[in-house]
Amino acid sequence: MKNMELHLTVNGESLNWTIAPGELLLDVLRRQGYFGVKRGCEKGECGACAVLLDGMPINSCLMFAAQAEGRQILTIEGVADGGKLDPMQEAFLDHGAVQCGFCTGGMVLSAKALLERRPDPTEEEVREMLAGHLCRCTGYRKPVEAVLAAASKKRNTARRMKPVAEVVR
Amino acid sequence: MNGDRAGQSRDRQGAVSRLVVGRNVRKVDGVKLVTGGAAFTDDVHIPGMLHGKILPSPHAHARIRRIDTSKAKALAGVHAVLTYKDVPRVPHTTAGQAWPEPSPHDTYLLDSKVRFVGDRVAAVAAESRAIAERALKLIEVEYEILPAVLDMEQAMAAGAPVIHDEPDSTKIYDRQRNIAGYILREIGSVEQGFAEADHIFERQYRTQRQQHCPIEPHVTICWLDADARLVIRTSTQVPYHCRRQVAMILQIPVSRVHVVKPRIGGGFGGKQEMLLEDICGALALASRRPVKIEYTREEEFYMARSRHPQILRMKMGVKRDGTVVASQLTVLATTGAYGSHSTTVQGNTGSKVLPLYRAAHMRFECHVVYTNAPVAGAFRGYGCPQGFFAQETLVDEIACELGMDPMDFHRNNVIRLGDTDLLSAQLGEGKEGLPRLVRSCGLPQCMESAARAIGWTQKRKSLPNGHSHLRRGVGMACTMQGSGIAGVDWASAFLKMNEDGSFFLQVGASDVGAGADTVLSQIAAETLGVTLDKVIITSGDTDITPFDVGAYASSTTIISGGAVKKAAARVRSQVLELASKMLDAPVDQLDCANNEIFTTCACRKSVSMTDLAMQAMYKEKLQIMDGASHFNTDSPPPFCATFAEVEVDTETGQVRVVHLATAVDPGTAINPMQAEGQVEGAVAQGLGYALTEELLLDAAGRPVNPNFLDYKMFGAQDMPKLTTILVETDEPLGPYGAKSISEVPINGPAPAIANAIFHAVGVRIRKLPIRPEDVLRALHAERPANLEEELLTQ
Amino acid sequence: MFDKVEAFYRPANVREALRLLQSGKGQARVVAGGTDVVVEGDDSVRYLIDITHAGLSYIRRRGTASVIGATTTMAELEASDAMQALAGGLLSRAARWCGSALVRNLATLGGNMANGSPAADMATPLLVLDASVVMVNARSRHKLPLAEYLAGARTKRHARSLLVEVVVPEPPNGKGCRWSFQKLGRTAVDISLVNVAAGLQLDSRGRVKWARIALGAVAPAPMRASGAEQRMKGRILDQALLAEIGAEVAREVSPISDARASAEYRREISSVLTRRALEECSAHVGCSL
Repeated sequence: MKNMELHLTVNGESLNWTIAPGELLLDVLRRQGYFGVKRGCEKGECGACAVLLDGMPINSCLMFAAQAEGRQILTIEGVADGGKLDPMQEAFLDHGAVQCGFCTGGMVLSAKALLERRPDPTEEEVREMLAGHLCRCTGYRKPVEAVLAAASKKRNTARRMKPVAEVVR
Repeated sequence: MNGDRAGQSRDRQGAVSRLVVGRNVRKVDGVKLVTGGAAFTDDVHIPGMLHGKILPSPHAHARIRRIDTSKAKALAGVHAVLTYKDVPRVPHTTAGQAWPEPSPHDTYLLDSKVRFVGDRVAAVAAESRAIAERALKLIEVEYEILPAVLDMEQAMAAGAPVIHDEPDSTKIYDRQRNIAGYILREIGSVEQGFAEADHIFERQYRTQRQQHCPIEPHVTICWLDADARLVIRTSTQVPYHCRRQVAMILQIPVSRVHVVKPRIGGGFGGKQEMLLEDICGALALASRRPVKIEYTREEEFYMARSRHPQILRMKMGVKRDGTVVASQLTVLATTGAYGSHSTTVQGNTGSKVLPLYRAAHMRFECHVVYTNAPVAGAFRGYGCPQGFFAQETLVDEIACELGMDPMDFHRNNVIRLGDTDLLSAQLGEGKEGLPRLVRSCGLPQCMESAARAIGWTQKRKSLPNGHSHLRRGVGMACTMQGSGIAGVDWASAFLKMNEDGSFFLQVGASDVGAGADTVLSQIAAETLGVTLDKVIITSGDTDITPFDVGAYASSTTIISGGAVKKAAARVRSQVLELASKMLDAPVDQLDCANNEIFTTCACRKSVSMTDLAMQAMYKEKLQIMDGASHFNTDSPPPFCATFAEVEVDTETGQVRVVHLATAVDPGTAINPMQAEGQVEGAVAQGLGYALTEELLLDAAGRPVNPNFLDYKMFGAQDMPKLTTILVETDEPLGPYGAKSISEVPINGPAPAIANAIFHAVGVRIRKLPIRPEDVLRALHAERPANLEEELLTQ
Repeated sequence: MFDKVEAFYRPANVREALRLLQSGKGQARVVAGGTDVVVEGDDSVRYLIDITHAGLSYIRRRGTASVIGATTTMAELEASDAMQALAGGLLSRAARWCGSALVRNLATLGGNMANGSPAADMATPLLVLDASVVMVNARSRHKLPLAEYLAGARTKRHARSLLVEVVVPEPPNGKGCRWSFQKLGRTAVDISLVNVAAGLQLDSRGRVKWARIALGAVAPAPMRASGAEQRMKGRILDQALLAEIGAEVAREVSPISDARASAEYRREISSVLTRRALEECSAHVGCSL
């Protein structure tokens, strides 16, 4: 097996890694210490290994690491801004949407990506997004509530922020 | 949101109202979980760590005639290969239970006989997963294939292959007939009871093999520390049992073993098992290197544990007015190839289920048989989901036959405050138990509130069904559970004060994701009069924390919480004693809250916890600290009412659950938000149990669907609307009135849904899971499911 | 799992991809989204050829036809305006059923066809739309009816060729023309137990002018119910005809029993879903059933 170079950006950091050509993205990320990316089923069914690939949620267990060449990856470790939690993370904590936490990282990432695309999602849309994330602890009700609450908070903040942004411009 | 419930939290003692208990605080370990912190077992890199793999048996029943590991050992990168020839032979059970474990001691680290597809044949440790997998393929095994028995109804038959013919296993009830355990208990006389009854109903039910499916599969990492002690970092619910069992199996002193339980990605009973720790430890000892074994999802399905499948025959005798006079449950269950939790799970099927009704005469009989199938074990509900499916669907049938509203039937017959459940006295954890006195009971309110949420009265009478192929119906079930095992489960806690007025809380209890660390910290903070951030908890580390049986039997809040409260009360006394000196006030005029100790008299003197801590440590030379142990001689039942509305597609047989209302009496909810989460998680597993989940085996005993593609659990889109209601009561035996909550809600969905299906389309389904094709077949049958035929009228 | 893989290639065009496929001597696997290749976990693979840089991600008009590049993802099909406009959005709607949102961000249309699953959710709507696939090999580029392609997708027949695009001819359109996609799974995200796509064109007097019915997961490959289609021609779609079509479809399918469902159940559901698909089609055109 010949190794190869992989150039990619993870959580804003430009990186060069040596990988085996048949390695899966999940395995490489965990080896590099991104432990927030979880191994749950290795068949793309549970979503615990989700990361954002150029802003889109994908299962890192279904993707060869080499496919990530030149792409931007966001893992759960890159979501909080230093010590400041992302509003989605805050919402998951405040709504009791975290139990064991094993599926949480993937859910938070998918939820963030959904809000980028649909700032005002319906409950159905949230559930469709979460359908890619199996959770054995919560029964999904609190995660759904958390995402809807984070969305509503984000919209309100955006509304308040708008005039400020205009002044700055 | 956080403060919402504060107003509702009732203050029963009339003292200072509670500041921490009863509040929806965030999980104390939440931040690291939402930020992807390296918190779980496998979130470490240990230099030189090897990957362990287990060679699973391809046969359901076989003897290893010859096994040659030389080629595997010769493979570059392989550091250890173990077979039965290389390890001590110690009969044991993998069930993580208190010593002496009531389960049969019928399991060996490695054996010359394999008893199910997936049983351990050999184990390797190699430098990578790929090398380990290649090494497994190089192990040459010659099997003598033995006849296998997979059908539990065939297991006891004459001529059936004997699965445990080895002489050294112990505690097996009748090995020649493959009977792992047998239970017969009776109170009153059912013969007399049935003679007094006006109507007798008897039906048979079947339940399936459900798997826990924690999203984190079992994983264990073992290594020898600098003192050559065996460190076991593992996804377990039972660190202490695990330490004792591994020490015994590997024949090393308990003091040479250190078990560490990090964050756990869900257990649900599946991790109340010493499953990988022994073999991983053996590989670490053999290779003198750190070794990790991590189950793949497929391995998790059939090499871990599952829920015991049962065939239940339930018989009830009632008076004309619907009063239950006698009930009898006869169960045949299979434990698979090994008897882990065999008699105790099945004991619960009787002892926690039958006493829901106040019949004077009860009889429970059960055979637990071995089959050459994957091993069953502890699973949330622990025998109750099976029993309640039978009992609550039969009760619905009786009510319907008698023309009664099932609600009324329940109202008239269920156990009440002040009642004593005598069956539990006969049926304890593998021995005689203790009677259960109902000291708190919110069941009537549970029923009323869940019925209201679902719109029971209206919908029972008329649903807008018309001629559509979609038909709606509503159904209900009542269930109960326990809170710890009476006289068996115990826990301890230790607290010490720091200079800044914070406290280290050390508990053996094992938070497996359900939030025990948070609840126990809340209890400590409430008792000590400090804010939650002043309690720093360490849990589940056998070197650091005092003993606890572990996370099972709905025991943590009531038993471990009891220990924490006791320890905190002792520490509080020490704090008050010093404060009394500092404030020159008698102890009985002192109280503490919000990190302050203050006088309750008019003088209003106070000292902060920080100042007091500094005084203690640097002036008094006193470490404020104490510990306590705790157990109960009773297991207060939490109660639950589950109401379901379903929509049945009469053309496809599909059942859509539209709304599920669950009302639970958990005693006091220490953290209502977390308590609700326990209910909703249990309900989701209960829905899967009712409708979609079943681990299937083919005729040779091989798993057919060991993956999430084909084993379907409920996803976010499949869930019905959930209504969760907490009916709080005050349990005298629990800390701040708490009982338990995590198990009881799993029992209701299956019977409530089956009953709702009957209400919708008039067919009785008595087998789980309720698959669309079974519903469709029943609908096609000319007369629905022998409704009258089995009804015996005296 | 893929530890024998020696090289991972990212060809910039189809020609290079074909050359690599050729030199792989049967030990090369084409990767688009990767979702099926990874799950399959074929241990013998030596070379991986990622074709997502080969210029095959597009949705275009070519004359009256719509052309979909092989590496177009399910998420792109779902979101595409052109796809939402084509045949009542049939392909967009079906794409939304292909696994979870996470999977749909990677999984491609070409991959869904090339994997050759009898349950492939995109196959039945494409069959209804009389789609073809364009195959390219070292010597030629040729168009193949989708049904013909699917029949051999799990054989070695196309091993040296690359599926580069799917061509959907202009479907019948106008007021009397409607489409439906029906799927039955055990849960929302599931492999189809049965899926049915249908297209219907009625004339001004409500008689069936043109009909297509395709079924998935009920035969070795996704199939057209040609017998049922024939029976409908020129007739008024009433309850009697629906019953007749349902019965005919049940005769035409040849399902198997597996862990997901029994053959008998699949057969019965084939009828039910076909009827529902036709009802959905006719309900839209105001046909009173």
